[in-house]
Amino acid sequence: MNGRTLGQASEPSEATARTSGQESGRPGAMARALWQAAGAEWAKVWSVRSTWWCLACALALTVLTAVTLGGAAATDALRDGAAGVRVTASEPVVSATSFVQFALVALAMLTITAEYASGGIRVTLQATPVRGVVLAAKALVVAPVMFAAGVLSGAVATAAVYLLLSIDVFGGLVALPAADVAFDLLGTGVYYAFAGVLTLGAGAAVRSAAGTLTVVFMLLMGLPLLLLMTGGQVAVDASMRLPMFAGLAFMGSTGNLTGGPIPYPAGEGLAWLVAWTAAALVAGLVVLRRRDA
Amino acid sequence: MISLRGLTKRYGDRLAVDDLSLDLRPGTVTGFLGPNGAGKSTTMRLVLGLDRPSAGTALVGGVPYQRLRNPLRTVGALLDARAVHPGRSGRAHLVALARSNGIARRRVGEVLETVGLAGAAGKRAGTLSLGMSQRLGIAAALLGDPEVLMFDEPVNGLDPDGVRWVRGLMRSLAGEGRTVFVSSHLMSEMQLTADHLVVIGRGRLIADAPLADVIAGSSLTAVLIRTPHADALADRLRAAGIAVDRLGENELEATGAPVERVGDLAHEAGIRLHELRTRQASLEQAYQELTADSVEYGAGR
Repeated sequence: MNGRTLGQASEPSEATARTSGQESGRPGAMARALWQAAGAEWAKVWSVRSTWWCLACALALTVLTAVTLGGAAATDALRDGAAGVRVTASEPVVSATSFVQFALVALAMLTITAEYASGGIRVTLQATPVRGVVLAAKALVVAPVMFAAGVLSGAVATAAVYLLLSIDVFGGLVALPAADVAFDLLGTGVYYAFAGVLTLGAGAAVRSAAGTLTVVFMLLMGLPLLLLMTGGQVAVDASMRLPMFAGLAFMGSTGNLTGGPIPYPAGEGLAWLVAWTAAALVAGLVVLRRRDA
Repeated sequence: MISLRGLTKRYGDRLAVDDLSLDLRPGTVTGFLGPNGAGKSTTMRLVLGLDRPSAGTALVGGVPYQRLRNPLRTVGALLDARAVHPGRSGRAHLVALARSNGIARRRVGEVLETVGLAGAAGKRAGTLSLGMSQRLGIAAALLGDPEVLMFDEPVNGLDPDGVRWVRGLMRSLAGEGRTVFVSSHLMSEMQLTADHLVVIGRGRLIADAPLADVIAGSSLTAVLIRTPHADALADRLRAAGIAVDRLGENELEATGAPVERVGDLAHEAGIRLHELRTRQASLEQAYQELTADSVEYGAGR
């Protein structure tokens, strides 16, 4: 009886001590939890084959699409016979993003939907119970992986386009201006990083792979093309603000499905990309925090 | 170490966990029993902060689970052995968990050794048998050397050797002063493993008592008596408020009183006894009596 009373008396003070201790060290503790969780996510992403498959697909698709688009652009230039027109070797890489992005979107998506499919999300949340930290940790891994994948696959594809267009038929049509190429490749990487984090947010909100892929496909391609096809000015203006064309604006694309440059500056494209990505992340965070795992 | 106060979880109009209050003590194996759908797994998820309670609190060492720093070092839990990416190796799964909680990497090898999975650690989790998956899940629970361990049906899919191993593991973890909370449907196994029992049915607490008390409380636990004066003793016992059945010419069965009291009453009455012994109910019998009214998905007993 006595021992029990003592035990109860000591409980609140102990709890208070723990609470205040955690409160005072809170930002530091949170940062450490985030760093550790990101380390775990990094280990997870490289320990499944699907990651490597997605990266291999992205590389193959980038090279294939860029070479095709580059060849078509060069053929057009030859036919038009305009003197002095040159094709920048990295330009087709930027145009290819609209198609290639889905290989990398799949990678980003699987970091969250595969956990819901297997139930592993419960293990993840046991290890890192603050849900915002889990989502942030996944974003910290997805973004650089997507960026690097975009830059590297873009570099390989640029080289392939340069080699193809260097053959005699195209008569020295291709150019490789270092600054433009660097801008294109880095821009592509940044765009993929945003697309990946956007997908992650959508995945956290939707949870299933099929649902996430549908939402992301509609947002990144289906919806902008649908709006574009309607042809109305309002619809076209709206489509230009969706992530796909915002990304093309940010990457400075000149040749794309609209038949001309995006009608606003690169900075505004970046702003729209940030906005869409933030919206998806917030949606994911809200669902992750509210719903039972 | 773990205390639940008025813990309630409502799904729509169904109460999965209904006003549950209990404390789990260190140094004991607490068996968690109840029919399917009684709310055992939900209770464990509530403790781990995976589900949000509709009312009440679940505290670990005085704080909610979400507030624990590096929680795997305080609570190790195995809820679902199959909750691992099927394409990831067991070792990679444990390495990622260790990193998430700042646990030294050598622990991965140690726990793989402990659960006897060292040889299969490189295999993809999807190719493991259910029994091996259970071992991997137990390894994950042990990873952070936690004070509290929770296991949901840990012997599912294990072979007899594995079942015996889990029993020994639970006993030794409790012996080290840890809090062990384990659910199971195997009553014979529980009877050998648990010190204390928590029984729930339809989300409500039915029993929270030491194993011995639960078994003693069963109507099938009885005192058997052989005596040449069966009639006289039966009258004497009934007068003392003890239920008595006549089993044969010289045999009685008394329920609702400990063997000492029956012996004392016989002695006071000067009645000679040829045999006096306790017949214990099995945990399974005691459990069925306790939960008879709260089986949700029964096959009509």
